[in-house]
Amino acid sequence: MRRWVFPAVLVLALLGLGYLLRPKGHAFYGTRLLNPKPVDFTLEGPSGPVRLSEMPGKAVLLFFGFTRCPDVCPTTLLALKRAYERLTPEERARVQVVFVSVDPERDTPEDADRYAKAFNEAFIGLSGNLEAVREAAQTFGVFYQKSQYRGPQDYLVDHTATTFVVQDGKLVLLYSPDKVEATDKVVADLRALL
Amino acid sequence: MRKLGWFLLGLLGVALAQDALVGVKVAGGWVRFPARPDMTAAFLALENQSEKPFRLVGVKSEVAERVEVHETFQEMRDGKMVMGMRPVASLEVPPGGRLELRPGGYHLMLIGLKRPLQVGEKVKLVLVFQGGLRLPVDLPVEMR
Ligand SMILES: [Cu+2]
Repeated sequence: MRRWVFPAVLVLALLGLGYLLRPKGHAFYGTRLLNPKPVDFTLEGPSGPVRLSEMPGKAVLLFFGFTRCPDVCPTTLLALKRAYERLTPEERARVQVVFVSVDPERDTPEDADRYAKAFNEAFIGLSGNLEAVREAAQTFGVFYQKSQYRGPQDYLVDHTATTFVVQDGKLVLLYSPDKVEATDKVVADLRALL
Repeated sequence: MRKLGWFLLGLLGVALAQDALVGVKVAGGWVRFPARPDMTAAFLALENQSEKPFRLVGVKSEVAERVEVHETFQEMRDGKMVMGMRPVASLEVPPGGRLELRPGGYHLMLIGLKRPLQVGEKVKLVLVFQGGLRLPVDLPVEMR
């Protein structure tokens, strides 16, 4: 009889260990950064400079695009609108959606902000001088380039269309344009972050 | 009651005859509510119910200075994923086939909007096919 005891205890101990080591918390749908990267920029809003690190306590959802972009940019901004509007007012107070123009030659800070607010009044749009926008884009690994150029007022901009999530000055999460459309999963991720 | 039945059958007949006559039809579509007042995109599906291909070669709209057929693409540049769009000269709807214009794929670019568009209103577009067929369509403005 005795010889049963040790294996039985061992099995129970292993089960107990497995239980203690079970994966805890939320499995993120967006791509989690193993080493959250410190990020910051200062760009222009309609009423003056806006610094990314001066949105403490907020999860900032950041998207780079241009206002004369009627397919890719609205598709993502509409997805962010759906996710944002799914949150409670308390949760919304801790989330900021930011649109950054990678077409600063045509998009003034007012243009960028008006564009962002067409999706939700609480969204903000930023632009800035060419150098500042270039630096901000580089910080996030965003590539952009004019295309179909016909003149200074008539061209398109090809650009990286990733959505970045910044929290406490660090890039923590990102979504491809496909992933960001899964509203339920993005909302669950945001709730886990807040 | 029987008269109504014949009347409806008649209407159906007219509708079928028109589709048969044209051979291609628009199956749903919408104009995206413009986030900036001077341009937007429209999306729709085309169904070819005939045995010959149809080729969309142009689009006109009373609300836009010009309409371009565009394709959204995704490619690596500089080691980074980039999205963009480029005009396409024409689009073929194969015999018995369906062609969908949707976000992230083909779309119609309405450039130089002449007036603000309201959610819910209908916008008139005319699809021009190779051979001269002009297919008018009314698409609702939607925030999606
Ligand atoms: Cu386009």
